[in-house]
Amino acid sequence: MTHVAPAVAGGPATTTGTAAPPRRRRRLDREAIAGYLFISPWVVGFLVFTAGAMLWSLYISFTRYNLATGATTPVGLDNYRELLDDPRVATALGNTLFYAVLAVPLEIAFALFLAVLLDRVGKGAGFFRTVFYLPKMTPAVATAAIFFLLLNGSNGAINRFLRSLGLPAPQWLVDPDWIKPSIVLMSLWAVSGTMVIFLAALKSVPRELYEVATLDGAGPWRLFRHITVPMISGAIFFNTIVLTIAAFQIFDSAYLLFWRDQGSSAPDASLFYAIYLFQQAFRQFNFGFAAAMAWLLFVIVMLVTVVQVRFGNRFVYYEADR
Amino acid sequence: MTPMNTARRTPLLTGLALVTAAATLAACGPGGGGGGGAGGGEPTDFTTAPTGELSAWAFDNADDVGEARMEYAAEQLADVDITMDQTSFDAQKFTTRVAGGQVPDVVQMDRRFVPTYAAQGLIQPLDACYEAHGVEADERFYDFVVDDVEWDDQLWAVPQFYQPPAIILNTRVTEAAGLTDEQFDTSKPDQLLEAVAATYTAEGGTPTRLGFDPVATGQAGLWVLGMGGQLTDEEGRPTLDDPSNVAGVELLKQITDAQGGYAQVKSFSDAFDTFGDANQYVTDQVAAQVNAQWYPNVLSPYIGQVQLRAVPFRGADGEPFAVAGGSAFVVPAGAANPDAACAWMLALTELDAWEAAGEARAATREEDGGINTGLFTGSPEADQLVRERWVVETGDPGFDQVIATYYDVLDYGRTYGASPAGQEITNALNNAVTEALLGDATVEEALADAQHAAERAYENVTAEG
Repeated sequence: MTHVAPAVAGGPATTTGTAAPPRRRRRLDREAIAGYLFISPWVVGFLVFTAGAMLWSLYISFTRYNLATGATTPVGLDNYRELLDDPRVATALGNTLFYAVLAVPLEIAFALFLAVLLDRVGKGAGFFRTVFYLPKMTPAVATAAIFFLLLNGSNGAINRFLRSLGLPAPQWLVDPDWIKPSIVLMSLWAVSGTMVIFLAALKSVPRELYEVATLDGAGPWRLFRHITVPMISGAIFFNTIVLTIAAFQIFDSAYLLFWRDQGSSAPDASLFYAIYLFQQAFRQFNFGFAAAMAWLLFVIVMLVTVVQVRFGNRFVYYEADR
Repeated sequence: MTPMNTARRTPLLTGLALVTAAATLAACGPGGGGGGGAGGGEPTDFTTAPTGELSAWAFDNADDVGEARMEYAAEQLADVDITMDQTSFDAQKFTTRVAGGQVPDVVQMDRRFVPTYAAQGLIQPLDACYEAHGVEADERFYDFVVDDVEWDDQLWAVPQFYQPPAIILNTRVTEAAGLTDEQFDTSKPDQLLEAVAATYTAEGGTPTRLGFDPVATGQAGLWVLGMGGQLTDEEGRPTLDDPSNVAGVELLKQITDAQGGYAQVKSFSDAFDTFGDANQYVTDQVAAQVNAQWYPNVLSPYIGQVQLRAVPFRGADGEPFAVAGGSAFVVPAGAANPDAACAWMLALTELDAWEAAGEARAATREEDGGINTGLFTGSPEADQLVRERWVVETGDPGFDQVIATYYDVLDYGRTYGASPAGQEITNALNNAVTEALLGDATVEEALADAQHAAERAYENVTAEG
């Protein structure tokens, strides 16, 4: 196959040193230009609204920023030192890590369970797929309002169910020990986006693998363990990374359940990193510190992702590598 | 599965992480490029004959009272073209608009925010506005309402509304328990706790009725200040660890512990159908509850289904005590037409505007057959006028007594104290109360933690730079 990229870049046309015919080369140039034009809105948007804002936030993380005048006063590393001095940063980071460790495996397991169920449904598969996906379409505010009622420690449906089974009924929204699990429950409700990716992966597993293994006497668990999981390991890996990043940035569910009403109390157990960052920026106007918090989170997410990529690649089956 | 080699996939996933993390970073960039800011509106003498266009924001709660006042104010400013944004106030949106230099001329916000924005230079001082229009704030408004918006010896807002709290009794329950109204006296804890014990009921450890819902976190300031505490010093610096604050939180703990503990009380009260047909007074889920003045309006359609009276919240000295927030109008720094803003805000809060509002409310009540519980405006003269002219006997002596109690406690109003960290102090106090009532810390420890958080917020907001 001809190597296209060097030709576009104006370098040697092929690895064999044979130049592409002029007409074909012009067509490739036009295709490249068209390609760049098509992606240019995203590139411009990224540079202006994301990369630009990132650079600006990096700059103000070394300053004290006055919103009224737009003036910035250099403070060196003070904002980063403050990250260590402020005990609520550690609290927020600890809560966020705890949530991520609890939520991501449960979300993966639950989404996979739902996907396997849907994969096996024959009649009415479209109906069930739609029903299972509906929570994803529900606005976060509506979901939070529903869960506020469901999780009520006194009369909530979840506790009524638990009591009917003779099980202890926790104070989900009041007891600090149960606050993070309550938010995890809410996250599980909206796991259908992950489920759809798993479902697509399950549909692409060759059926003959199951047939052969079944002929060899493999039971459902062995089929799942030795065929399904390896064959969808790419999707598991992808979902794990995406959900981990999302978990580190958790904001809306906790904010809506605990922090929306500023006249009421919100236990420290519900103080997640992004919420504290928001408070520092938009309630205390401490933009330099908030920017430093954002960069700390960025570094943490990057490190975790790099570790996941390096570690995860060992266990992921890539069809193209075989 | 789509073929894809590992070498291309790793940077792709890293890029994914980069982009999503970048979203967080981008979110905390306040403006971009610098220089924005509100800062520089031209100095004005706040002329009494303004012209031009006026934009106002955060008027999302305009009911018959609000509309009548706006109509009145618009008539007074015939040469001004007024446009209203009726979305609710949002701190992030306000900050963003200020950073972008796209500020409206008037914003309605909670009074607890006012000193915070003043300390940041995001709103304009209004002493000259009051002076230009010959308005004495102390004469037009209650002293304690003016105190809410006065900081650094300057006035920063035009206040409106003061809806004090009191204790609404469910006499169907209290009388069945053989209790008198006087036994719900917050200045006599032992007597109060006896009344709580006589009316509290539970099944399997879960409350079925609260003897007294103190609204521990929603009204934490009332309890702490009422029992002799102080939230801030004269400069607005937080004083949450002041020993005088302990009594209020300890009394709250005694009240909630007597009813199964804070977690049970909170969960039970969170499930109240507060605004509905099965509200806590109709269903006898409370014998007594602290409520702000607006709540009798909610209960008024249920006359015949509820039996109510009210008693004042009493401070440690046995005297009635009230503290409440409310909303106010401010002019952002950099507003295009501060002259019109000033004239409009003052027109909205003058006696004739409230008279128009009183008439509108009376008409609404006549139409829907409801009860007029009065207006609690922040202006003593207006309150008096509305009460005398439109608050009439309802035919339910208990409900009449409830309305009268709220009017009576106006004489005992107090301010939370203006502070640049006002909202953060409230939050820190609420968190301390929660922590102490749950038993996760002693009252002193919880207040000390809260003081650290509030102090840090105060330092941030008032830091030079």
